[in-house]
Amino acid sequence: MKKKWTAALLAGAMTVSMLVGCGSTGDSETASESVQSDTKGQEKVEADSTANDGASSDEEITIKLFSNLPDRKNGQGLVEQMIIDEYMDANPNVTIEVEALDEEAYKTKFKAYAMNGMPDVVSIWGQPSFLDEVLDAGVLAELNEEDYLDYSFIAGSLDGFKKDDKLYGLPRNTDIMLFYYNQKMFDDNGWKVPATYEELLSLCGDIQAAGITPVAMDGGDGWPMACFLTDIMVKIAGTDYADIVSKAVAAGDFNAPEIQQATQILVQSADAGMFQIGYDSQDYGTAMNLFTNGQAAMFCMGSWECSMALNEDIAPEIRDNIRAFTMPTIDGGKGKASDIAAWNGGGYAVSANSQVKDEAIKFLNYMYQPDKLSKYGWENGVGLSAQDQTAYLTGSETELQKQVMDILKNAGSISGTPINDCGPSAFKTAIESEIQGVSNGSTSVDDFLAAIGAACK
Amino acid sequence: MKEDSIHIGKVILWVVLIAVAVIQLFPLIWLVDFSLGSSNEMFTNGLLIIPEKIRWDNYVKAFVDGNFLHYLRNSVLINTLAVVLVVIISIMAAFACQRMKWKMSALVSTLLVMGMMIPIHATLLPNYKIYNMLHLTDTLWALLIPYVAFSMPQGMSLMTGFIQSLPKELEEAAVMDGCGIYRIVFQIVTPLLKPSIATVAIMTFLNNWNEFMMASTYLSTPTWKTLPFSVLEFTGEYSSNYAVQFAVMALTAAPAVIVYIILNKQITKGVAMGAVKG
Amino acid sequence: MKKLYSNKPVILSLVLPGLLVFLFAVLAPICLSVYYGFTDYSGMGEARLIGFDNYANLFHDSAFGRSLKNSLLLAIGFICIQHPLAILVAAVLDKLQGKAEGIFRCIYFIPNVISVAVIAYLWKFIYNPDFGLLNNIAKAFGHPGKINWLSQQNAIWSVLIVLIWHGFGWGMLIYYTGIKNIDPVLYEAASIDGANWWTTFMRITLPMMKPVIQINVTMAIISALKQMETVYLLTNGGPNNSTQFVANYLYQQAFKAFKYGYGNAIGVVFIIICVLATVTLNTIFKDKQEA
Repeated sequence: MKKKWTAALLAGAMTVSMLVGCGSTGDSETASESVQSDTKGQEKVEADSTANDGASSDEEITIKLFSNLPDRKNGQGLVEQMIIDEYMDANPNVTIEVEALDEEAYKTKFKAYAMNGMPDVVSIWGQPSFLDEVLDAGVLAELNEEDYLDYSFIAGSLDGFKKDDKLYGLPRNTDIMLFYYNQKMFDDNGWKVPATYEELLSLCGDIQAAGITPVAMDGGDGWPMACFLTDIMVKIAGTDYADIVSKAVAAGDFNAPEIQQATQILVQSADAGMFQIGYDSQDYGTAMNLFTNGQAAMFCMGSWECSMALNEDIAPEIRDNIRAFTMPTIDGGKGKASDIAAWNGGGYAVSANSQVKDEAIKFLNYMYQPDKLSKYGWENGVGLSAQDQTAYLTGSETELQKQVMDILKNAGSISGTPINDCGPSAFKTAIESEIQGVSNGSTSVDDFLAAIGAACK
Repeated sequence: MKEDSIHIGKVILWVVLIAVAVIQLFPLIWLVDFSLGSSNEMFTNGLLIIPEKIRWDNYVKAFVDGNFLHYLRNSVLINTLAVVLVVIISIMAAFACQRMKWKMSALVSTLLVMGMMIPIHATLLPNYKIYNMLHLTDTLWALLIPYVAFSMPQGMSLMTGFIQSLPKELEEAAVMDGCGIYRIVFQIVTPLLKPSIATVAIMTFLNNWNEFMMASTYLSTPTWKTLPFSVLEFTGEYSSNYAVQFAVMALTAAPAVIVYIILNKQITKGVAMGAVKG
Repeated sequence: MKKLYSNKPVILSLVLPGLLVFLFAVLAPICLSVYYGFTDYSGMGEARLIGFDNYANLFHDSAFGRSLKNSLLLAIGFICIQHPLAILVAAVLDKLQGKAEGIFRCIYFIPNVISVAVIAYLWKFIYNPDFGLLNNIAKAFGHPGKINWLSQQNAIWSVLIVLIWHGFGWGMLIYYTGIKNIDPVLYEAASIDGANWWTTFMRITLPMMKPVIQINVTMAIISALKQMETVYLLTNGGPNNSTQFVANYLYQQAFKAFKYGYGNAIGVVFIIICVLATVTLNTIFKDKQEA
């Protein structure tokens, strides 16, 4: 019985067409420049690596790892640290130094690093807003795609990390945008998982009436709300989402009716009190804690937070009752319930100018051995990796994990890159700031669309 | 009648002073109070809590996982070095510009003091580039150089004022005895500047002790990170545990507060002198 | 003596360390900023010279305008709220004798020695609408609570409160020292004339404090311009740039939006504004003193 189920999952995951979407536009213009800078980087690396080849294998090597996972005791950060410790045990001459920052701080510092001298192994995002400029600057080392044929990456998951058919990084997760909810709280109050957006809104009204915050939202950072907007758009435009957004970014014109409607829905929802008071200034931790302390009934976040179900800091009566659903369908929208907002975002890469490039790639490959990131990630409930995880099903998965896996298995299509990551980083900065203004009502929808359009030019 | 109004005046005076004291201190008391409870106790309606169980282990976690000792050591080391350098450099430069005879003395003096007008954060971007090129990022120098550079103008301006007010006779006598300039600067003038050195030291310390913008831009590994990083890194690591976050904040604030309470007279004097004259 | 005091190599050796530090850590970065301010450098890859484009864009950049406006608001807040309070408290404190005086002075200054990192995070909690201290106080007074202190409309004022709270002791201490330096004979004369506390304060304390007030006002305006750290951690300029300040904005533009060149152009303008403000304030106050 289980075999059959895993096979179905595998098939499901493989057949989901991975629309990388908006990455293509604009690539060709900069291609010739980047090839030049790439070769320059390449030569330097080769010189470096020949110098290293002469050294004996027990030479002391330090690999600097720059990570976006500051919490080393839970979830994904724990998994990363476990692999690092294992690697250092297996290779006593290698020391791996970790610098870990929150996503926002990480991205800021990454760009600062990119100017001159990156750490050896870095977290990256296979999305235009992040990767285009990084690859143009030639700071990442090219990887040999053939090396990874046995690593069982899900079809299409590497696409976001490629440029001109060359591979520069490997994806860590498959991320799905979810509403986490507290099953027990729902049951106790007779609330039901909504099937349509209308139901979601009226559910939020009921929850509010009970004196509880409906949805905890990390609005201070801007990107979760952009993902939320993406999710709404997917339900409105269905599989056309990626197309609409990439056209809008290319033209700097966001007045497409789907985008307008989605923004309006976001504004209405925020206005109706769907999110906690002060959501637009609160950070990730604050929003999540509202939910994990039972102050909010739902929490809008990506599938990587599935590890909440195993987090010892969260009280068991909440931790054990966390479940998830995806954005409900919107009346008149083209998107079906099975068209979900999901993408292969985060991952790792090696710096092109690393002094210990060979060793760094060796470590990278070690992490991606299917029984490392994927297996440990699965066991620690961090959600779905970008590799085939079916071999590691233990039967003792948390309910939440099973649910999320079902969601992906049953997906008819997945969206690809969220809207904020589809343009240059100036666009990303603009939309993540402007979306706060439009959702809290101090900017009109038209001004919002005009402002993010202007940032693309 | 007059007695009464004096009495009422006294009462108002005390009320005002105590009210301000409460406003200044209460947030800190609140911080310490909640740092001893558990995270769930945050969500109460009261102003303060009596923790069900006093959780000292919050502080143990903060102390160990916040890298407290290591960062404290770095902070002390870097700030002490910065103070020593600022004092020496500004005494030397101030003496040369104030006492010695050369054409450019006024120009150089103005130039060095002018640094005070430059907003320190405007140099974050270019300095990052420079330090990177010279491989100074993530070293002690990446902090020491800007700390010295941005405290020097104030030190220089204070020292210039103090040296100006010293009587020249002592130096003249020293010259008669055959002292060289360096001996005059370090053995005759410097001891006379003791109170001003204290002022410069206190101002430099206060300026740099709590700095983190440059530290977080120029440093990457924990090797040289300073005390504020206990808080900055910790909140990410323990995002789901408020009480421990509170503990690390209280712990990080403690050294400076304790030193301040012990040395409060000297620091008060130093700040007053430094702020008015600098 | 003259010969000894005009020995060029010795002079050079004394001034050189200071000059080197200045050249390396202040002048060189400024020059580099000026250069990058004329480029479209993204932070990686090649830099292309684009003339004054960055500066032209700055004029139309509403977030930059908002940053300057916020600095102005902050300066006004400091001058109209923090400083009058600080002077009054300093004057009241001066009336107190004995141990209590020292204790209060010490308490008022304590927030000042605490790191901005701690202060900013602490106030994030204090402002939290769900369990923050301020809302619990509001509830204690019968308000339903859940006030959104950091909303787009309120955030800048909330930032101002934090800064006033944090810097209060510093301002108070300087006024306090100023008051202590006033010749007691003046007060005695006033009390013989039968002046009450308020008249004495208005007629003697305030006028005698003029130079101190001028210094403090200058410092308030400059620190309002230079504001970065508190905002960086408390709101990071949000929601939607409503608490943006120049230093924070240039940092964001350079390291977040991949506009290193533009960030440097902001830096150059920022330096010019700060220098101009300092020089202007100093000239105004100098003229007044002489007049």
